[in-house]
Amino acid sequence: MKLFTKFLLIYLAVSVVVLGIGGIISYHIIKDEIDKELKFEFLDRIDRVTYLLEQGKTFAKFREIDQDENLVIVPLDTFKENNTQVSDTLIWDDRFEREEKNVKVSAFRNINDTTYFISTYGNMIESDDVREAVISILLWILGLQVLGAAGIGFVVSGPLFKPFRKTLKRIQNFQINEKQYLKAEPTNVKEFRDLNIFVEEMTKKAVSDFNNLKEFAENASHELQTPVAIAKGKLELLTETNLNEQQYSYVEKLETTLNKLSRLNDSLALLTKIENHEFSTNETVNISKIVKDGIDAFQELLSLNNLQLVTDISDSTILKIHPSLAEIMWSNLFRNAITHNIQNGEINISLNTDYLEISNTGKELTTDPSVLFERFKKGEQNSESIGLGLSIVKRIVDQNEMLISYTSEKNRHTIRISLKSVKTD
Amino acid sequence: MKILIIEDNQDLLENILTYLKRGGYRCEAAPDYDTAFNKIMSFTYDIALIDLMIPGGSGLQVLRELKSARPQTGTIIISAKNSLDDKVTGLEYGADDYLTKPFQLAELHARIKAVYRRNNLNGNDVVQVNEISIHTKKMETKVNDTVVDLTPKEYDLLLYFSSNKNHVLSKQTIAEHLWGDYVGHLDNLDFVYQHIKNLRKKLIQAGANDYIESIYSIGYKFNVNRRSP
Repeated sequence: MKLFTKFLLIYLAVSVVVLGIGGIISYHIIKDEIDKELKFEFLDRIDRVTYLLEQGKTFAKFREIDQDENLVIVPLDTFKENNTQVSDTLIWDDRFEREEKNVKVSAFRNINDTTYFISTYGNMIESDDVREAVISILLWILGLQVLGAAGIGFVVSGPLFKPFRKTLKRIQNFQINEKQYLKAEPTNVKEFRDLNIFVEEMTKKAVSDFNNLKEFAENASHELQTPVAIAKGKLELLTETNLNEQQYSYVEKLETTLNKLSRLNDSLALLTKIENHEFSTNETVNISKIVKDGIDAFQELLSLNNLQLVTDISDSTILKIHPSLAEIMWSNLFRNAITHNIQNGEINISLNTDYLEISNTGKELTTDPSVLFERFKKGEQNSESIGLGLSIVKRIVDQNEMLISYTSEKNRHTIRISLKSVKTD
Repeated sequence: MKILIIEDNQDLLENILTYLKRGGYRCEAAPDYDTAFNKIMSFTYDIALIDLMIPGGSGLQVLRELKSARPQTGTIIISAKNSLDDKVTGLEYGADDYLTKPFQLAELHARIKAVYRRNNLNGNDVVQVNEISIHTKKMETKVNDTVVDLTPKEYDLLLYFSSNKNHVLSKQTIAEHLWGDYVGHLDNLDFVYQHIKNLRKKLIQAGANDYIESIYSIGYKFNVNRRSP
């Protein structure tokens, strides 16, 4: 629900309640006022009758004064003190065919030693009419209020809330890696100014945190390489001394471990770089060539493991991707297919403008294939690989808006990347 | 051969100095920009190893000054930055080679020799190890006068051994030299053994001594003093 709609609904609900109560009050006030007027009118009439009687005028029992039938003047045999009574009475109304509440004024007057009973009643406006009038007035007011609310709503959602909507839009379009914070725009509404200042500070902090993190990742990677280089050098110097077989095998193991550490470091730095979009490019790459070159580079490993290679590679498939990323992606995939293969196994590679597919024989998978794209997830937990190869591939694929899928069927593993190839002339 | 090492890390410097001095080089060290600048302006070196991040300035600056003052000096950049951009910039500034930390000292040594050959001997050098001669320009290997037919990998391996005579080289080191990043993630390095076995066989068949010594079947040593039994 939009803020404006909500505001309108609340406003109308409150208006209906207020107008309802107001209507009841108005009805009673108007009714009372009319009754009061009528009472004075009747008292006035009685005074006139009294005056006429004093002047010696005689009346029939039921007299019409000013076409008013409801006047009773009765001379009484007994004496009664002068007295005036105002009361409500129910009188049958012919027109509405029901009893209507009327105002009645009765009085006893002593004129020339005779006591007269004078009484009159009537109503100026029926209570129904009053009610109808009140309701119609209230409906008019309600109608005008709806119009007013719509007008206010238009102003609120239009010019008044413009700075708010603008800020909202800027937040939605905020991209942290563009390294631009959202500068607060001036507005004379305090709340919006506070909001803008808050957004500015928040985005400033987000951008600086992001930069710090990036810098840290890069620095950590650089700083780590020097100690590893020192350790490797010392090990090399150590092998020049007279070591026995066991000592030498320890040194060798240390060396492999250091290499692994350095590779891990490189891979993490690479992942961070890819995630930070440091490889955005408009360059195009001939992926067919990269695939073929990769196969040549791995030829020895293929023959050493007695692997059969079946290829179906179309010429010059062009992709829009950073050349380094394309090479890393392919060498990771290919190396993966070799290392997780079996003796006398097979690797199938097919490449065309729609997809790049590599499938290899291997041990049956015990885990869900999709988790292999996650960091440090390996098919075999105790294997020597560091478990970042496929997550790097996945990052590269995601970053270049391609799709990757991993399917495994018994002893065959297939990775397919749907390509968005570029047509070149 | 005279080598200047511009590197601020004492331990790393010591490693390089120890390894190279053992190979009979005259080495000097410069731990910061000012020292490096003074040295390159005052003396001539055959090779300069330059770390990109040094106190007081940048390695690239040293490289630029060195190239303009003494263009005949061979230069190798040593950097912790494994980024492509730095590599490209370094080579554009005229560096002869670029080595990423962590590197093997044996690899550094081999690169120094290669740069020296290219710069000073016009690449037309014959590396002579007793009866084996390696013609680096023709990429030809002879034992006495018999030409040995080596594959490119075997040739590379032999050259690497000759650059690091009498040093112990582990399988890992050899694999990294020959295949670079590609083998980085492999556990099984048996293919190194295959190549060494073939190289050894070919050299012996051509009449050379069996110089390649296996160290507990973990590493190898090109022992030039070894005589075939």
